[in-house]
This record gives sequence, structure tokens and C-alpha cells, in this order.
Amino acid sequence: METLERLVQAVQDGEAQKAVALTQEALAAKIEPLAVVKALTEGIREVGDRFERMEIFLPEMMLAAQAMQKALELLSPYLERQKEGREEKGTVVIGTVEGDIHEIGKHIVALLLEVNGFTVYDLGADVNALDFIKRAQEVKADIIGASALMTTTMPGQREIIELLKDMGLRHRFHVTVGGTPVTRDWAEEIGADSWAENASQAVAILEKAMEERRGHARTTL
Amino acid sequence: MPAPPYKMWEILERARTGPFSEDEPFIMERFMPHLKAGIKKYGIEYDPATPIPSDDNLADALWQAGLEFFLKVGVLCVDTHRIMTFDEKEVKEALYLAPGEYLVGSGKDARLLKHRQVEDTNPPFAIFSPDITCDEGLFSPLSIAYLKEPLADGVCAPILEESMGLKIKAQTPTELAGSIEHAMSLRQAAKLVGRPGIFLVAAGTAESDMAQISISHSDWGVRTTDSRLVGALTELKIDNALLNKALHYQQFGCFTGSLTGPIYGGYAGRAEGTAILQVAYHLMGLLVHQAHYQMNFPFHIHYTSNSSRELLWVISASHQAIARNTKLISFSNGFLNAGPATDMVLYEAAVHALASTVSGANLWEAAVAHNKYKNRATPLEARMAAEVGHACSHMKLKREGANELVQKIVAKYEDRIADAPLGSLFQECYDVAKAMPKKEYLDLYARVKDDLVKMGLEFPY
Repeated sequence: METLERLVQAVQDGEAQKAVALTQEALAAKIEPLAVVKALTEGIREVGDRFERMEIFLPEMMLAAQAMQKALELLSPYLERQKEGREEKGTVVIGTVEGDIHEIGKHIVALLLEVNGFTVYDLGADVNALDFIKRAQEVKADIIGASALMTTTMPGQREIIELLKDMGLRHRFHVTVGGTPVTRDWAEEIGADSWAENASQAVAILEKAMEERRGHARTTL
Repeated sequence: MPAPPYKMWEILERARTGPFSEDEPFIMERFMPHLKAGIKKYGIEYDPATPIPSDDNLADALWQAGLEFFLKVGVLCVDTHRIMTFDEKEVKEALYLAPGEYLVGSGKDARLLKHRQVEDTNPPFAIFSPDITCDEGLFSPLSIAYLKEPLADGVCAPILEESMGLKIKAQTPTELAGSIEHAMSLRQAAKLVGRPGIFLVAAGTAESDMAQISISHSDWGVRTTDSRLVGALTELKIDNALLNKALHYQQFGCFTGSLTGPIYGGYAGRAEGTAILQVAYHLMGLLVHQAHYQMNFPFHIHYTSNSSRELLWVISASHQAIARNTKLISFSNGFLNAGPATDMVLYEAAVHALASTVSGANLWEAAVAHNKYKNRATPLEARMAAEVGHACSHMKLKREGANELVQKIVAKYEDRIADAPLGSLFQECYDVAKAMPKKEYLDLYARVKDDLVKMGLEFPY
């Protein structure tokens, strides 16, 4: 099996040490770092798809993401030098809203976004509406993702949007909402830009949203 | 009969002084490897052909695996970043001190809440609970409808989203107001129905610690003969607000329920890991929550339900492990895919009750329609589960027999789980003013019950 194939397999199997060794082997063999990243990205996307089909479970996906992270750390100095060729999908600030301590759903969305090429800043749980916005400004985010797992914390999602409006920043960020009790109707009522029923849907919706934003920016420019 | 809290101050201190850990290493380097090792060491294996296993060795291995896993992993307090750890001697001491039964509720409505054995011939204690949110105007009719159910030994009311027309937001004055409205209205509904002392679990509207503390009142609010719940964070984690609740419940003097829902497909992975985790949660409930009973709702990460084959195995195997090896009181909470007034939801309710009752659990029924939609639950789903639970003990059903029945019933709906019908709203299939089911739903109920009789269930009436 070729080095690249073995590397992808190691990442998919969540074998971090093996992934690091094979990344070093790939670099020593002068395989183009961008080609390595491309193969890894395709491989990890397949991991995400398998998770959605419940062929693998969260522990396996987390180990695969960890192995991918280790491989990317080795590749990053090379990628810095070749930044122009690397796909930048967008930057997401994500968290669970104030008063809500549930994290796993948001964690899965963050993980899937990350393995699909987004830069993700996970603020954790019980996050104040203004803290979402401040952090999004700080990291120049494209997207704010707000999760709520209880009906009594869903108003925290509305607060983010209302604050953005009052601060004159609504146009700056795509706001997406999710969580078990959150419905499309609620997302529309509060004026969110998107809503996703599950993690893989969230990735597809945000990829499309970012394409549209870029298209819009290009047209505007 | 009531047990004192087990070394509460000593254990709470561990949230301040235990070993340091951040969240991610706790899950990645402690929780997941120990769970994987436990599954392998004890040879725990899920068998889709046997959603109700009859193997005592499996139940005992699961108990050992859960105990060992709990001792090795402990419970992380995410506010202090400290792990609360335990040794085997103190777990055994706490298990020995657990009384195994409590008199709950008051006066003529008081009931004995007991530990159950596998294949127990005593009927399960049944808590009727819609587990969903409702319109403010429907809170009383819904509560009254549940309180009217003859087999309800206890009731947990729906959750308010608005109070006095204002949207409730957690940790704000609207939550306080809504929680008081919830507790008062439920108490009033119980009196109206003629069951003033019925065991109430309240108030779901009070999500925060401060809101729970605000409703402790033996006149209009939660009484010492009632109960409240304290949860966990996913998985085996806790925070100071949850510890505040646990401590307050003990000092106020009501019954504490430990509310835990291990996620199938989450950090625990497959059925085997989810079952081990559910066993471990009983020990967290006993030692950290200082709870009088455990309320379990393992659920599927995609469907938020537990009536599928693999989740039925988790429910059955883990309850058998607890029933055979402890005196702990355990509830099994049905999470069903379909909504009210569908045949599917009634079959799901029957299956959940079969798997739970024969395995040694009490019943807490039922969250329906993926536990997601406002006003979408009725007492008839809970009635079906309770009637099936009573039928199991009435006919002295064994696990093998339950497994055969479950296989037949699951086959009726398992291919519809992903797109289960949402069914009707409470106000569509109930006469709201009378808080009684409409004829169409009663007819459907009777047809499903007849079908269950044809399959071999023997109802007491």
C-alpha cells in the first residue's frame, strides 16, 4: 500500500502515532504536503459520513480527528509556505447558549466542521450572548453557531441575533442555530440564517452558506 | 426506612480536592479507554437477536464492569476541574446502607416505592410523565389528565415555556416565576383530581439550582414527600449548580432522583458501553447525587429514543445487572419515536414496558415523538406502558417469554424509526375541558391492546 493510503488508513483507524510516522515518511518521500492534506481531508470526511450512518461511533470519530490533528501539526510549517493553494472554508465560533450545560451535540458539530476544513473556536457551554459576539469579532469569524438543548435556554439564541442587530453587526456573521428542541420555525422566528437538524446537515448547510458569502463578496467587490 | 445521606460532606469535598483533569483528557484518556477495556475484560456482547437477554452471567458481568469502570474513572466536576474518586469499600458501604424501599407521597395517596427483582411478580411503580413542554394554557388540563390515570403512582408534569405570557429564560426571573407557577398549578391540579398527596416529581420548568430552591415549600410547592431530580453532564461529569441541587434536596428533606441518560452512539459508543455506563450512573447517583432512586433514559444519538432493539438490550441488561446485585431503586424512562394517537407509539410503549418490567425496573412513561415537540404527549401512551407493566407481573412473565413478545412487537415498527409519524397534539386527541381522551384514540388504544392479547399478553383487566 502506498504511504498516502496507509496514512489515511491510520487516521481513519484513530492511530495517532502511526499517522505521525507515516506523515514523516510522506514528507521524506517528497510527497507534496498539499496532496497529503487533500487525501487526509477526504479520508476524514469519510469518517464523518460513517459516523452519520452509525457504522462507527463517536469514540472512533474522536480518535480519528485526534490522529488527523497530529498529522496536520507536522504539515503546518510546509502549508504556511504554500498557503495560497489550501482551501479555507471559513471560521466558526460555536458554543452552547447561556444557562445551558449540554455539550455533546455542539461538540459533534464542532468536530465535523473541523474535520471538514473549517477553523473552529469552541467556546464550550453556558456562553453569554455577548461573549459569542466578542469572540467572533476577535477571531474574525464568518459564522456564529449557537446550540440550545432546552426550551428555556433557546431565548439565548434570539439574544445573540438581537445584540448583533443593536450593535450594527448583523451583516457581519452568518448565525446558525441547532439543538434538540430547536426547529426550523424557531430559527425563522428569531431571524437566524440557518438551522440544521443534525451535524452532517450543519456541515453541508454551512459549506453552502460560505460559498454564497464568497460569491456575494466577489460580486460586491 | 429513610437512609441518611452517605458521607455527603466528605464526598462533596472531593469536588475541590480530587485529582486535576480538564474535560477532554477526562473523556479521551480516562473515560473511553477504561470503557473499552471493561467491555473486553468482561466479554460484554450485544446480541440483536436477544433484546431481552436471559443470561444471569451477562447481568453479573455487566455489574462488575460498571462497578470497576466507575471506580477507575470517577466523576469530573467541570467547575473545579477535579475528579471525585471512590474506593470499593465505600461503594459497598453505601450499597449496604441503601434501604431498598421508601414510602413516598402522603396520606391516602402514599405508595411504597421499592427495589424490584428480575422477573419480579410485584407490579412496577409507575410514574406518568409527558416529558415535554406545553402551552401555558394547557398546563393544568394536561396535568389533570395525567393525574386522572388510575395506574399512576406518581406524576411528573409537563414543562412551561411561558409564564404569565413571558417567554421563560433559564437563570432569569422568568424561570423563577414559571417554576413557582408550575409547582403551584400542579399541586392545585392534584387536589382537584382528589389525589392531594400523590407523589409528585417537580418541577421540570426549574432547570437551574436557584429555581429549584425557590419552590421548596410544604404548603404550595414541592413537599418533603415529593421528589426532585438532579442530572449529570455527558458523561460522568457534574458541576457546582448540580451539586447545589443535590445538597439542597437533602437538606430540605424531599426524595432525590438521579436523572441520567447515557447516549448510545456518543462517548460510550455502542450498546455494550452504553449499558456499562448506565450501571456506573447508578453508583454516581448513590454516591454523588445522594439519590434515593435512579431515573434512566439511555437514548439513541440520532433519534432521541430507546425503543429500538439495541437500546432495549441496554435497558434490559443494565437493569438486570442492578436488580441482581443491589437493592437500588431504578426507573426506566421510555423515549419513543412516534407521537400520540398512532399505533406505533402504543406498540413502542408496550415494548419499553416489557423490557423494563421483566428486567427489574420501575416505569417512567413516556417521552414521545422524539421528545422534541410542544404539546405532543398524552396519558394514553403512559397508560399503555403501565398496563403492560402490570400484565408482566400479573402473568409472572419470564425474560424468555418477554423476549419473544418483544421480537414480535418490534417487528411492527422498527423499519419506521427514522421517519416515525409525529401523530397528534394533546388538544387534538383529548377533550381539553374534561381532560379525557377522544373516542378515536380510545378505539385505537383498544385495537392495539387486543392485538397484544392475541400475541400472548395477559392483562389483569
